[in-house]
Amino acid sequence: MSSETTTGAMEPARSDVERLHVAGLHAPTDAVLSVRDLNVRFNSENGVVHAVRGVDFDLMPGKTLGIVGESGSGKSVTSLAIMGLLPPTAQVSGSVRLKGRELLGLSDKDMCKYRGNDLAMVFQDPLSSLTPVFTVGTQIVEALTIHHPTMSRTAKEARAVELLAMVGIPSPKDRLKAFPHEFSGGMRQRVMIAIAIANNPRVLIADEPTTALDVTIQAQVLEVLHTAQEETGAAVVMITHDLGVVAGMADDIMVMYAGKPVETGAVDDIYYNPRMPYTMGLLGAVPRVDVAEKSSLVPIEGMPPNLLHAPTGCSFAPRCPLASEACHDGEPALAPVDGQGLHRAACIKSEALGGDVDVHDVFAAPPVPVSRFDAVPRAERSTVLQLKDVRKHFPLTRGALIKRRIGTVKAVDGLSFDIREGECFSIVGESGSGKTTTLLEIMEFHADQDGEVVIGGLSNKQAADAKTKAKMRRELQMVFQDPTGALDPRFTVYEVLAEPLQNAGMDRGAIRKRIMELMKLVGLQPDHVNRFPNQFSGGQRQRIGIARALAVNPKLVVLDEPVSALDVSVQAGVINLLDHLRAELGLSYLLVAHDLSVVRHISNRVAVMYLGKIVEIGAVDRVFDNPRHPYTRALLSAIPVPDPQLERTRERIILQGDLPSPLQAPKGCNFATRCPVFAALPPAKQEKCLTLEPPLEAAASATDQQFACFFPDGELDEDMLVVHETADHHAP
Amino acid sequence: MTNLNAVDPAAVAQDAHLESADVVIGKNTIIFRRFLRNKTAVAGLAIFLALTAFSFIGGFFTPWDKETIDPFNIGMPPSADHYLGTSQAGIDLYAMTVEGTRISILIGLVVGLVSVLVAAVYGCTMAYFGGKVDKVMLFILEALIMMPALLVVAVATSGGGEGLKRNLPSWLLLIIVLLVFSWMGTARLIRSMSMSLMQRDFVKAAQYMGVPPRRIVWRHLVPNIGSLLILDITRGVTAAILAEVAFSFIGIGIKVPDVSLGVLIGGATSQVQTFPWMFWVPLTVMFLLTGSLAMMNDGLRDAFDPSSSSTGKAKKAKARKTTAEKKTA
Repeated sequence: MSSETTTGAMEPARSDVERLHVAGLHAPTDAVLSVRDLNVRFNSENGVVHAVRGVDFDLMPGKTLGIVGESGSGKSVTSLAIMGLLPPTAQVSGSVRLKGRELLGLSDKDMCKYRGNDLAMVFQDPLSSLTPVFTVGTQIVEALTIHHPTMSRTAKEARAVELLAMVGIPSPKDRLKAFPHEFSGGMRQRVMIAIAIANNPRVLIADEPTTALDVTIQAQVLEVLHTAQEETGAAVVMITHDLGVVAGMADDIMVMYAGKPVETGAVDDIYYNPRMPYTMGLLGAVPRVDVAEKSSLVPIEGMPPNLLHAPTGCSFAPRCPLASEACHDGEPALAPVDGQGLHRAACIKSEALGGDVDVHDVFAAPPVPVSRFDAVPRAERSTVLQLKDVRKHFPLTRGALIKRRIGTVKAVDGLSFDIREGECFSIVGESGSGKTTTLLEIMEFHADQDGEVVIGGLSNKQAADAKTKAKMRRELQMVFQDPTGALDPRFTVYEVLAEPLQNAGMDRGAIRKRIMELMKLVGLQPDHVNRFPNQFSGGQRQRIGIARALAVNPKLVVLDEPVSALDVSVQAGVINLLDHLRAELGLSYLLVAHDLSVVRHISNRVAVMYLGKIVEIGAVDRVFDNPRHPYTRALLSAIPVPDPQLERTRERIILQGDLPSPLQAPKGCNFATRCPVFAALPPAKQEKCLTLEPPLEAAASATDQQFACFFPDGELDEDMLVVHETADHHAP
Repeated sequence: MTNLNAVDPAAVAQDAHLESADVVIGKNTIIFRRFLRNKTAVAGLAIFLALTAFSFIGGFFTPWDKETIDPFNIGMPPSADHYLGTSQAGIDLYAMTVEGTRISILIGLVVGLVSVLVAAVYGCTMAYFGGKVDKVMLFILEALIMMPALLVVAVATSGGGEGLKRNLPSWLLLIIVLLVFSWMGTARLIRSMSMSLMQRDFVKAAQYMGVPPRRIVWRHLVPNIGSLLILDITRGVTAAILAEVAFSFIGIGIKVPDVSLGVLIGGATSQVQTFPWMFWVPLTVMFLLTGSLAMMNDGLRDAFDPSSSSTGKAKKAKARKTTAEKKTA
């Protein structure tokens, strides 16, 4: 990356791009992929949207570039423009050179020579990126055939087996004949990576490759990507919104905002010495799984700008707490920080932001709220929810006409826990561990259930008539994962919030008053009540969802992944709001989340679930700082941390395989099939794990922590441990 | 307290933005714009509205009506006296066409609207309750589908329904019979659509708030399949008009002295050679009626379809020019 962008990426006319190349400002010799002044425009109902506004970067062979930013910042559009996969209605201009050859302007047919060959891509959703009617083998061979028509069939098959083995699929030879539906999500993503690297690409673009996966699977897939890069020597463009994911992998980072790179530099510069307020905000907005200290997160208020109109000043200025008059005249260009060429930021104040500026001061993070219950010992607080031995088993049947029962899915298997007033209790685990079923069992609340659910003193076993149910609904409300899906698109906010109140039999005047209160409570403007949900941003919609849950003044709010559909910057605002409401209204939360960092930040107690059972439960700091069950240990080690130094040197447990299917569930300890401790045990001790079910027992010291494992501090199997000692290859 | 409740400048700025600029376009506006962009559909709408207007006020432009016989002009081709000519019995064709168009549109609109409404409530109810309710209601629906509609229409309008016939005009009877047999297909479609809506979180949210089922169906399910309903109404209107024409044509629908397009066409088929205007005029009107509805339906589908290729103020010409420039560069 050299000096031409200092003149402002927008300045040179499009035809000048060629001149830049000729003038040698472009470095064709060393960069495998170089992008200059990439612009993408789309037509929409509202006019022309300028989605990408002048992206420049050079990618060196074997290096990894991480592109991060909120949704709508133009990350994915950039990658699709490079691949030539944008719809024909998009207008793309600028220059994309692969090994010195221009790609933009090539016809679809000409692009096919590069796509899948020198330039490969891994998509976000592994479930839909493989064709369901062909075997995995056919699809890998297809990728080979297209670019190597002369290759013999046996050679192609041998190569396919080799590829599958490379991405860590067990018994690859047999798996060639398997269909995509026979693979789990993580396995399919591995197959996608295998297809992408089949022709030894020079550049591999990974667009949010792990966003749709569980943390343990994410760790596996990232590991596979790492291996793939080492094997092929490809340069990788890693697009993600998760700053943790790229911390350990990337060499360079490009932070994008409103279609423009706003800060670029080596990974350490960006994480430890950010100079653009947006980058600082992004870093401050991410909760840390490895830090116990409680501090509020940094919310970035507002929404990304509308790209219909060219911004007159800095595009971040409307959301920037440091914005001054000067920020509003003219968009700042990327300029080198501290005079060194590699770390560049597009901020007129970047010089002043160095050193020890605290992001919490910059963004005015709210103080940590204190609940009146925090001072009361847990045992003295009243119980708002109690589960006693709750089970939910689904019969597994086969046969079309006569259904035979061939097994049982134990979605929830003997769950007991309680939630006290004013506390936040979280359930974590991979998908398929029974978290959501547990929530549904609580929300269902009827007498036929296996096990007892007591909500605010009302048990499901005693009277589960309509009256008791209505009473229970006033004690317990729910906030959904997807704020868009949870609000009827045809209701105004007023109608959304009025529904539970009307249902509770309130009169018109009281409803109006309560709605105004609620809007203020969740930090929305009261005069927005007549708008429809689609006129709000994701974070605001989730606030409406929270307001609706709080309408009838419940004691307990069930939160089903409340922030997982939101951008990090918005997520921080919602988490802070939840924290604040818990303290102010004395609420209790039952939180289900897969993001352990969020859980650590917000909860008081946590339960780790695996295959319908709690394997470890206790105070959040105890469990996270001193995990005893090997599954908890693996989960915690799989969470990426937005700290490059730590990421590179961290020891990581990579669990083998996926959740076992219910039919193969072991007799003894559920976790034995994947357990790193079990794998390292001598056969005599393994016998115990396989035959006996470990009970949930309290840890030796009288602390709030229980776990279900016979060998809690056993040694871990070395095959499942991975450490990247790559500290020096990251030098710029 | 914290700054959560404070009005922060960023939100205010964004607000002003939302209010002043065209950031958020209402869904209805988008649909309307897309509809207007489809010229065929707009033409269809215009034709349909013109025909409707014609059927109501057309009668004022002629001194004749559908019952008066002009003994001096029997079986005459179009002339200054009779704009569209007269029938074999000497009745003014223009007056009959106006009357027939009105009856046909009336039957179409009533059957189209009411059958879709019935289908919506029935389908949503099935989907919401599921289980046994769904099974029983589905059985009734399937039974109705298998009933031969043609025979029932024939019996009701000619043979068996003497009592009914005495009390009701034949067009009302036909509406009722058509209604009974026209809503099942739509109901089945709506059932499957609502079943997928049932999985959406806002329905679950309403259930967990304890909202009674009746209200969930009426307030959450029915409005959300609104676009499908509108499409089905236009389709249903066309189908009903065609059914009326077909039934009347074979002599089991509208009965003389009531007039409809089907009766006119049916009566004139044997006289195409001798009185061609008696055949071609009502046929053209019927074609204009169903054709305009089909054109509208096409545009409506485009407007409602979220994955439609209608791409806003697309400046395709400009796009092509820039790519061309790039190639030459």
